[in-house]
Amino acid sequence: MNEYKTTVGIEVHAELKTKSKIFSNSANNYGKMANTCTNVIDLGYPGVLPTVNEKAIELALRAALVLNCKINKKMHFDRKNYFYPDNPKNYQITQNRTPIGINGYVEIDVKGGKKKIRIHDIHIEEDTCKSIHNKNKSMLDFNRAGIPLVEIVTEADINSSEEAMKYLEKLRELLLYADVSDCKIEEGSMRCDCNVSVSKTEKLGTKIEIKNIGSITNVGIAIDYETERQIELLENKKDLKEETRRFDDKTNSTILMRIKETGNDYRYFPEPDIPFIELSDQYIEDVNNNLPMLAEERRKIYLKNGINEINVQKIIQNRTISDYLNKFINKNINLVIASNLLLGDIAAYLNKYEIKIENTKLTDNKFIDVVNYLDSQKINSKIFKTILDNIMEEDLSIDEILEKSGFKEINNEELIDIIKNVLKNNEQSVNDYHAGNTRAIKYIMGQIMKETKGNANPKDVNLLVERLLKK
Amino acid sequence: MDKLTKEQVMHVAYLARIHLEEEDIEKYRVQLKKLIDDIDKIKDIKNYDEEFLISPIEHNSTLREDAIGQMLDYKEVIKNAPNFNGNFVEVPVMINE
Amino acid sequence: MSKYLDLSLKEINKLLKDKKIKPIDLVEEAFENIEKNKDLNSFITLDKENAFKMAKELENKEVDNLLFGIPIAIKDNICTKELRTTCASKMLENFIPTYDATVVEKLKSKNMIIIGKTNMDEFAMGSTSRTSYFGAPKNPWNKKRIAGGSSGGSASCVSSRIVPFALGSDTGGSIRQPASYCGIVGMKPTYGRISRYGLVAFGSSLDQIGPMTRNVYENAELLNILCGKDEKDLTSVDKLQEDFTSLINTDIKGMNIAIPKYFVTDIVEKEVLNKFDEIVQILKEKGCNIEYVDIDYIENAVTLYQIIAMGEASSNLARFDGIRYGYSYENPQNLEELYTKTRQIGFGDEVKRRIMIGSFILSGENAKIYYDKALKIRDDMRKSFLKTFEKFDLIIGPTTTTVAYDLEANLDDPLKTFLDDVLVIPVNMAGLPGLNIPIGFSKDKMPIGLHIIGNAFDERTIYKLASFIEKSLNLNLDPRGGKNE
Repeated sequence: MNEYKTTVGIEVHAELKTKSKIFSNSANNYGKMANTCTNVIDLGYPGVLPTVNEKAIELALRAALVLNCKINKKMHFDRKNYFYPDNPKNYQITQNRTPIGINGYVEIDVKGGKKKIRIHDIHIEEDTCKSIHNKNKSMLDFNRAGIPLVEIVTEADINSSEEAMKYLEKLRELLLYADVSDCKIEEGSMRCDCNVSVSKTEKLGTKIEIKNIGSITNVGIAIDYETERQIELLENKKDLKEETRRFDDKTNSTILMRIKETGNDYRYFPEPDIPFIELSDQYIEDVNNNLPMLAEERRKIYLKNGINEINVQKIIQNRTISDYLNKFINKNINLVIASNLLLGDIAAYLNKYEIKIENTKLTDNKFIDVVNYLDSQKINSKIFKTILDNIMEEDLSIDEILEKSGFKEINNEELIDIIKNVLKNNEQSVNDYHAGNTRAIKYIMGQIMKETKGNANPKDVNLLVERLLKK
Repeated sequence: MDKLTKEQVMHVAYLARIHLEEEDIEKYRVQLKKLIDDIDKIKDIKNYDEEFLISPIEHNSTLREDAIGQMLDYKEVIKNAPNFNGNFVEVPVMINE
Repeated sequence: MSKYLDLSLKEINKLLKDKKIKPIDLVEEAFENIEKNKDLNSFITLDKENAFKMAKELENKEVDNLLFGIPIAIKDNICTKELRTTCASKMLENFIPTYDATVVEKLKSKNMIIIGKTNMDEFAMGSTSRTSYFGAPKNPWNKKRIAGGSSGGSASCVSSRIVPFALGSDTGGSIRQPASYCGIVGMKPTYGRISRYGLVAFGSSLDQIGPMTRNVYENAELLNILCGKDEKDLTSVDKLQEDFTSLINTDIKGMNIAIPKYFVTDIVEKEVLNKFDEIVQILKEKGCNIEYVDIDYIENAVTLYQIIAMGEASSNLARFDGIRYGYSYENPQNLEELYTKTRQIGFGDEVKRRIMIGSFILSGENAKIYYDKALKIRDDMRKSFLKTFEKFDLIIGPTTTTVAYDLEANLDDPLKTFLDDVLVIPVNMAGLPGLNIPIGFSKDKMPIGLHIIGNAFDERTIYKLASFIEKSLNLNLDPRGGKNE
C-alpha cells in the first residue's frame, strides 16, 4: 500500500521595518496605547486618499531580491474587497496582478543535500487592525491598520514538518539580515499560515489552512498533528472539506474556525488611487548593491576565521552580536576570542543588567585591546572576568583599568629573580626535568604563577624558565 | 443575460452587504436585470489591444518619504464612532476570528 | 437693498479694495438671497455663523487677491472641517469631518468665504439631484423642473445668483449637465488637474472637482486657484502654474474644431440641435475650420461608464458600514445585521442599485468580462480622442440631449439617469477637460448649453472659444428677469 505524502504550502506575512505606514504617514509602532497611532487615512474616512511610502517599496524590493525573485518592474496595487471590521475601508490595498516579486526560491538543507522551496510570489499589502474579543463584542484598535506587510507565498513544495521549520528559519534569517523585518513572531511582526494536505497519489489532497501559528516550533507541531488527523479521517473513509483551522498551543492541536465558502469572491480590481510604480534597473541594482551582509556570507567569514560551527550558528541567531563582531573583521584581531567573549562573558553581562552593548562603555578600541591581550596572554580569562564590570562601566582604557585593579605587569628583572628563587627552592623538580620528565615544568610554572599572583605573562614565564633551566 | 435569478440578486446583495426585504427582491431583480442587459453590450465590443487604463493619467506614482506626520488623538477616533468602549471602537463580536 | 453680488468679480474686488464695501456686506447679501430662494432647496447645510465670523476677521486683512472675501458654495461631497458633509445621504447625515479637502484649504488660503454645502444626488449618483436624501433642488428657470445632477444644488445657487461661485464634482457629467440645465458655466478640468483629496469618492478614476460660475472669465479665475499637484493625491498632476484666463477674448480665427458625428445624431432633440447648428454657423463665419469626425467607441461610453463607475463605487462605498462613523443600525443582533441593515437603511435606492451592480460587475469571472474589458476599451477610446487632438484644437457638441425636464418625469427608469449624460460621459472616460457654456434657450425658456472639449491640460483653449461665444451671444442668463421673460 502506498504511503501518504504530506504537502505543505506556507504563506508568511512580515511587517516591514519602516517609520511610517504604507499608505499614510502615521507611525508604524508596536505596543502603543490603542488608537493613538492612526489618522483619517488608516481609518478609511470618506474622501481620503493613499500615498505610498518609499521605504516600504525599498524593503519589499530587498525581500524580493533575497528570495531570488523576478522583479515586476512596472507594478500597481489592487483592491481586495471583503467586509470585516478589521479592514477599515472594507477593501485591502494589496498586489494581486503585479506582485513586486515572482518565481523565486529559498534553499534549505535537507538530508543528503539542498532543496529549493519555490516562492510563488511576494507582494506588498497593508496590515489589518487588531481586535480583542469578549463574549458579545469585539473591540478594534486601528494602530496596526496600514502597517506595511509583505506576503510571501510558497509553491506546495514542502513535504514535512521539518522542511517547513527549516524553510521558516531560513526565511526569517533572510528577512532579518536584509533588514526587511524584525520577524518577531511573538509580537506578530511575522505570521505564518500553512496549507496542509495529504494524498497517496500525485493529485494533491484537500487543502486545509491553519492560521496564525505562534512559533516556528508550533508550525512543525501543527503540521504533524494535521497530517495525522487528515490521514485518520481518510482511513476512516471520511471526506475532507476545505476549511480554515487554528492552532491551539495549549492542546497542541488544530481547531476548526470556518468552512471555506465556495471560492472567496474578493472582487479584485486595480487600485485607481495609485498610479503605476516603475522600478528602474538602476534603482533595483542600487538596492541590491546596498543590501546588508546576509547570514550566508557572514557564516562563511566566521568559519574561515576559525570560529566553530556551533558558535557561528549562535552568532547568526543574534543579529546584534553578528553586527558587532563584523566591525572587527578587518581589524586583524583574533575573531575566535572575540566571538567567545561576545557569546560568553559579555553576553552574560548584557543579560544580567538588561543593557545593550552600545549603551556600555565598551568602545571598539577597548574591545580590540582586550582581545589582543587575551590573545597574547598578557591577561588571562580570570583577570578578564575580574575587570569585566570596570570595562563595561568605566571611561578608562584597558591598561588604566589593569593598573587601577592592581594587575601590574611584572618587569623581566623582577620575574627572573622570582623564577631563580623558585628553581632554587624546588631542586627535586629541576632534577626531574633534567632527567627527562617534562611534566615537572608544569609544577614549576604553577609555583611561579602563585608567586607572581597571576600577574606574569605565562608565555614569558615559560620562555624564561626554559632558558634558565638550560643554563 | 438570459435570466437574473432571485438567488443571483441575493448573492450580489450579500456581496454588497445590503439587506433586502422579501417584498423588494423582485423590484430589485427587475431593475438590476435591466441594467445588466445594458452593460452586457460590452460583450459585443472589440478592443484594439490588451493595454488598459487604470486611470486616465500618464505619470507614475511619486513616492512619499518615510517620515511620521500628525496623528489623531484616540478621542477623535472614537468621537465619530457610533459605538466605543474606552479607547476602542466596538462592534458586535467577530465570529470569524 | 444692496446688489453687490450681481456685479462682476473685478467690480466687487475694486469695491472691497477701495473699502467701499466689506466682505460682510457680501455675506449678508448671500444669506438674504438664500432666504429669498429657499424654495430652490439648493443647500443642505448653511454655515452662517462661521461665514459672518470670517467676514468680520477679513476686515482687518489686506485685499490681496481677486477672490478675497467672495462667498462660495461647496458641493456636499467635498469635506469641510467642522462643517457637516452629508453627500446628501442619510448615511452621513450627522458626519462632521475633521479635515478639509485640499480644494477647501485652497479657497480658505485665498480668503474666500464658504457659506454652505449644496444639494446633490446621493453620493453624486444621479443626473437629476432627485436622489438626495434632503429632497431635490429646483431649476431657477422653472421650479417645476430638475436642476440636473449630480451637482444640482451648486448649479441652481449660481444660476439664481445666490452666490457667484460654487464647486461641483463631475464623474460622468455632474458639473456640465446641471450647468447646461441651469444656464451657467461649468468646467470639468483634466483628470489630475485638481486634487481629489477630501472629495468623497464615487468613481475614483473619473471623479474631478470643478468650478461652476456665472461667466467664463470668473470660471477661469477660480480654476486658477484650485489646480495643482497635491502630495496627498497621487493622481494629481505636476503642471506648471499657468493662467487659465490668458487666451480669453483672443482671436478664434483659424481654430480647428471637430464635431463627433455621434453628438449630432437623433439622440439629440431637434430644438437643441438647431441651437447648436446656429453656433456652428457663427464659428464658420468667424473663420474656424469645422469638421465632422468619428471617435472610436464614443457610442459605447455609457456602457463603459456604467461598468467602471459602478465597479469602483461598489468598492468606494464599502467603507460606510456603521462602525467608525456615519449612520449605524441600532442594537444589531450580530455583525452581519450591523452591516446589512446599516446599508439598507443608510443608502437610498439609486445608491443601493449601483453598489449591487458594481459588486456584480467585479464578482468572480465577471471582473474579466466586464471590468477588465472596459478598462481596455477605455484606453482605446482615449487614444482615439488624443488622435483627434493631433489635428484639432477643440471638440464641440451639445452638452445635453434635451433641456431640463419635469421633476416628476422619468422616475421609474433606472437607465434614464445614464442616458441624460450620454454626451458628457466620454470626456470623463478619456480624462479630458470639458466645459458647458449657455448658448440660448428653448421655446419654453429653458437654457441650452454647448459642450467644449479640450485636449488634456489644455483648459485655456476651451476658455478661449467659450469667451468668444459668450461675448458674441451676449445672453441674459439671470433667471430673475431680463430679456427672456
